Amino acid sequence: MHVLLVFLALPGLAPAALGAQGGASPRTIAIDERLAADAGLRLGDRLSLTATPGVAGDSVVIGAIVRRRADPAEIARGEYRVRLHLTSLQSLLGYGDRVDRFAVATRSSAATGAAIARINDAAFGFRAHRSADIAVETSTTFAVVSRFHRAIGVITIVASAIFLLCIMLLKVEERRRDVAALRLMGISAPTIVRSVVLEAACVAVLGSIAGVGVGGAASWFVNRHYQAVYRTPLRFSLVTGDIVLLAVLLSLGLGIVAGWLAARRLVRTPPLALFGR
Amino acid sequence: MSELAGAPIVEVHDLVREYRMGNETVAALKGVSFTVRQGEYAAIVGPSGCGKSTLLNLIGVIDRPTRGTVSIAGERVDQLGDARATDFRLRRIGFVFQRFYLMPALSARENIELPLAEAGVKKSARRDRAMTLLEYVGLARRERHRPSQLSGGEQQRVAIARALANSPSLLLADEPTGELDARTGAEMIALFARLNGDGTTIVVVTHDEVLARATKRVIHMRDGSIVDHGTAG
Repeated sequence: MHVLLVFLALPGLAPAALGAQGGASPRTIAIDERLAADAGLRLGDRLSLTATPGVAGDSVVIGAIVRRRADPAEIARGEYRVRLHLTSLQSLLGYGDRVDRFAVATRSSAATGAAIARINDAAFGFRAHRSADIAVETSTTFAVVSRFHRAIGVITIVASAIFLLCIMLLKVEERRRDVAALRLMGISAPTIVRSVVLEAACVAVLGSIAGVGVGGAASWFVNRHYQAVYRTPLRFSLVTGDIVLLAVLLSLGLGIVAGWLAARRLVRTPPLALFGR
Repeated sequence: MSELAGAPIVEVHDLVREYRMGNETVAALKGVSFTVRQGEYAAIVGPSGCGKSTLLNLIGVIDRPTRGTVSIAGERVDQLGDARATDFRLRRIGFVFQRFYLMPALSARENIELPLAEAGVKKSARRDRAMTLLEYVGLARRERHRPSQLSGGEQQRVAIARALANSPSLLLADEPTGELDARTGAEMIALFARLNGDGTTIVVVTHDEVLARATKRVIHMRDGSIVDHGTAG
């Protein structure tokens, strides 16, 4: 069994047009939460549906307030959304039984193919598509943006790696005399390399944990700000478990390599040269 | 030389150390020979650039001579490879530096435990040995303090304790009072004298006349040669 839902966008729909009316058993409509908030509407409110302000129309009751979807395609749209029964829509638009687009929800993915075949066979002039296929076609912009983000991420990682390597080299260079003293005391080169690498690894892990913390806080602020600006539940910034794991592992790997390179360079220098003699 | 002096600890024979400075060859040591016996307390003195630090580096197995031989406790050390020289320094030689070079992140006790750990001494034995040495240098109550929490004299005492950790055959000190005020320097001189009295063989390189006078033998150097071998006291 299929459920037929038709969505109608009414950009010019003003709260003034939605005056409360009396009448028996009015039909229900669903409005989105943005319209509810802006027009001060609540569940059970009675409205008059009309395409012309000031003209009496069909009396309806708000049966549901729908949370907006977290859809990036809808961010820049300031429109309101109202769901109404098909007959109400036909009456409102004066289109009769003419429709441009409609969506069919199926109970399972297996039924989708059959539904598409039946619609394409039966409805001349219509072409049915899977929503997933339409999503792929309409999301190319986001795919490009995503690639940009990935490129920025790669550049950030490369820059961070160079920065970390420089920091480690500087930190180890600061210890030239300490390392020289250790070598003179008889501490072996492998022991010194191990201790430097261990320290570098600890610094890298602690740094990455701190970075994840800062990233999480920044992400929270970004989401709060832009969700308020665009009035959408969409999450603009994500710090997922995979990202945290990648950050920690990458940082650990870079830290170990940077520490090893710096320490190896240092222990290959004769102790007297490290003392500047 | 005293008849009480023991077996040779340091034997240096015809030691030459040359450096290349561009196209020129500079001789820092010109055929130095001398012996330091077990239980001696010797100071190497001389003007800056006379070769005393070069000599200390060669005795300490930090550097290799151009010619000549160095034996420490009967073992030839002048041609040891890096790894063997490092191990030799760990077990047979204690170093005391002018600037202490304690590890800033470690406590006084942990600094002393460092060479013991490298030598493979077990943790409990390391701790006992470090505490014994801290008591010896009068810093048992400062075991948990980091170098930044210690005075210069205290840091140098920790450094001496660290140098003694593996019971070395020879204690080498390069200007050990150079960074200390007169009073703290005098305390350090007294500590060295006590160490020597307890049997430690000590060779110091110094400009400090007070320290040199406190030793039992003063070796004078000039222009890469020993001009006075001194007399063991």
